Amino acid sequence: MAAELTSTKLNPESHIILDQPLLRLPHELARRNFKTVQRAVEREKEYVIPALKETAAASLSNTQTPDQTLAALDAMISRMQGLKRKMESLQEEEKKIHNQSRKRIQHLEALHKIPSLADVKYDQWSRVRLDRLLVDHMLRSGYSESAKQLAQDRGIEDLVDLGVFTQCQRVVESLRRGETKEALQWCGENKAALKKSQHNLEFELRLQQYIEMVRTQDKSKKIEAIIHAKKYLIPNHQSQNSEIMRAAGLLVFTQDTRAEPYKSLFALDRWRTLSNLFIQTHHELLSLPSQPLLHIALSAGLSALKTPLCHSAYTSSSSNSQSTSTSVCPICSTELNELARKMPYAHHSKSYVESDPIVLPNGRVYGKQRLIDISRKMGSVDSGDVKDPTTGEVYHEDEMKKVYIM
Amino acid sequence: MEGLNHVEDHPEQLVCVWFQLVSSRHHSSCRQIFPGLRQYIVYWIQFGRRVIKSSYLTFSTWRDSVTAPVISEPVNRTPSAMEVVQKEHSRLLKRTEGSQGIRNVQSAIDLLQSARDAIAADPSGASATLATLQTSVKSSFDSINDSLKETHSGLNKYTKSLDKLFKDRPLPSTDDDGLSAQEHLINRAIAMHLLREGQFGVAATFLSEIAEQKTINPVSPNGRGPASTSTSLLDIDEVPSTEIRKQFASMYYILQQLQENKNLLPAIEWSRENRESLEARGSNLEFELCRLQYVWLYHGGANSQGTTSGWQAALEYARREFHVFVPRYLREVQQLVGAMAYSPNLGGSPYAALFNNTSAWDDVAHFFTREFCSLLGLSADSPLYIAATAGAIALPTLLKLQTIMKSKRTEWTSENELPVEIPLPPQYLFHSIFVCPVSKEQATDENPPMMMPCGHVIANESLKRLGKGNRFKCPYCPSESHPKDARKVFL
Repeated sequence: MAAELTSTKLNPESHIILDQPLLRLPHELARRNFKTVQRAVEREKEYVIPALKETAAASLSNTQTPDQTLAALDAMISRMQGLKRKMESLQEEEKKIHNQSRKRIQHLEALHKIPSLADVKYDQWSRVRLDRLLVDHMLRSGYSESAKQLAQDRGIEDLVDLGVFTQCQRVVESLRRGETKEALQWCGENKAALKKSQHNLEFELRLQQYIEMVRTQDKSKKIEAIIHAKKYLIPNHQSQNSEIMRAAGLLVFTQDTRAEPYKSLFALDRWRTLSNLFIQTHHELLSLPSQPLLHIALSAGLSALKTPLCHSAYTSSSSNSQSTSTSVCPICSTELNELARKMPYAHHSKSYVESDPIVLPNGRVYGKQRLIDISRKMGSVDSGDVKDPTTGEVYHEDEMKKVYIM
Repeated sequence: MEGLNHVEDHPEQLVCVWFQLVSSRHHSSCRQIFPGLRQYIVYWIQFGRRVIKSSYLTFSTWRDSVTAPVISEPVNRTPSAMEVVQKEHSRLLKRTEGSQGIRNVQSAIDLLQSARDAIAADPSGASATLATLQTSVKSSFDSINDSLKETHSGLNKYTKSLDKLFKDRPLPSTDDDGLSAQEHLINRAIAMHLLREGQFGVAATFLSEIAEQKTINPVSPNGRGPASTSTSLLDIDEVPSTEIRKQFASMYYILQQLQENKNLLPAIEWSRENRESLEARGSNLEFELCRLQYVWLYHGGANSQGTTSGWQAALEYARREFHVFVPRYLREVQQLVGAMAYSPNLGGSPYAALFNNTSAWDDVAHFFTREFCSLLGLSADSPLYIAATAGAIALPTLLKLQTIMKSKRTEWTSENELPVEIPLPPQYLFHSIFVCPVSKEQATDENPPMMMPCGHVIANESLKRLGKGNRFKCPYCPSESHPKDARKVFL
């Protein structure tokens, strides 16, 4: 366990663990964009080529007037023009995504040029990273305005995903309001990708629609519910059989039932579950971690910094706000103290104390020279005396006793 | 090249590096890489260590000039994962810009259009025109698809390069990171961070959005007691928004005046108002500020030309203000005033350093921030920044640990303590750390460090175990003592 107590070595390759989504997300967007192009081309191809063949055959067998031929061709031309417009706008989008990716790659590359953790440039880089993490956290918590403002203030719009999260947030809010439309539309847009997902978001949404119809207890609505179930729920019978059975059973209950599982199917809380399921599916699809990155960084950082002294009942001599020559420990600082309470503290295998430590009669340990320096600077301390900066007690220099800490 | 990074401090290592390289198989390559190194070493051997030390700068510049080309030299070096990512991406970007897809669609449209025009002009040739049109439109679609395929393979290559870059480095799967349940504390920390960074606008928006969301979703039913939530949420409203916000606003005003306008007066005023608490901390902020003001006046103050009247203004200032400092800073005041005797040739005097300190303004700004935050019980640097940075530094180690523990299905015994040591840069050590030399455990409130009469310190539990209530010999020196003679110490 002879690990180094401190190190300023910077290994850029392993240092970018937190930055995976930074490159993954735009790439995922670029791939989706590409698939949209592909599908659009495929669709027009499937229309134009058979249509052309038909027209040619009809023209050959003279079953078509020239006007009809021209009309058919016009239809093809306008569809192809539509395709061109669509491709143009998608290409614009693609360029935007790629340019964003390029900026992000440049940002990560900058880290490779920083020699060590002690370098000023690392400090700047790390501050940008913190801003990114904060924006990520704000977006995930739904504080979109703050996120936007922070990103603008710091000029990091290209390094954060305002658009993606804002869109996600919009759907989430619509679900919380009890609307399925936007979420279903999203499912439609991502149909292909959703097939691979283990969560059946679309089924759950359709089931909710069904539940809402049954909830009304209106006869015609119930019939509509049955039609809805046939159309959207039954096709999933292989994977969701028990759910479908339960849904069928729901027809004979009212929403104030106390019988489970029908009670929880009717529960309004199901909307919240749905919105959470949506977030989960959405993040999975875009390879976004389910936790805010800030949480990951903080839980590691709080532990790495925490010492048993940070939540001790006794004021630490080595770092406290009463003494000027030490800076307040970030874990002891009010912002993080409570947050770190349940975290494990860092492991150390070697003692680390100020050089030339002495102990005062009250048991407090200080570096000798530092204590003398502080006492000189403080008013109302006679020469030859030292003042404990933590407790304010005054002792004579002779009362300092050497202490050996190994 | 690793060794060269530390050579600066120990020039003799340079020789070792050189001999290693010469005797190794890389003899020829090292001659290419280190042109001039030999000469340098010969120089070192001839003139000895002292010369090198005095020509320290020469060595650094020399080293930089030598190491720089090595990094960029393509000596059959496999490109790093990051470089591959960069390369694949720029290819992708180029491909997008030169994409043929839309041009091919346009050519299909042109074909259709010209066929239409031909048929409109001469309906009799329709079937022939349509027959040729079929094949040419088909081939247009084929080339569209070809260009799409190309883009697709580009995307796939980029995916692979990303996979390689992040290989074996999945994000930690924290099912329960203990932080999600404390959202309000995180938000409070963020609000404080924004305030101390001077982002007052963002902070205001953030706090109002939190308040807004709270009214929409009053209490989320996560099994948390509603009582505890509401009290801590009250906390967030009160702490950052009123008092602290005002404090930080004034701190920013003072700092801005200090850094941008070189106006020390607001800072001096603040330090006067807080003189008592500053003095109790042993802080000489007020004196430092006044001293800088004196120096600034000497250099001409606001109109930094007229140095002739500068010293008069400075002396005037000293007469007016310095008497307060005389009891405690007599020597410093004497130096400052005495230096005036050398004016205008102060640069050549023993006091030159006092008056030409280029980093003085930054130092004072830093000093001021630290004192200001300390009086509020806060650390000078944003704790959120330090914690997040430390987290990023710690993550690789913790992740490795997670994989090892998963594969061995073990758990560490002490759940209060991380199982591995995480080396952080020295400025991230804020507390003294006591590890008992006997038990190798860190001292805690329950197991505090105890000093035996001989001055050696061990943890309380070790003391009990060694002594068993009787006199015992210190494990580190011959002296004997009774456990009850040991005294608790505070680090």
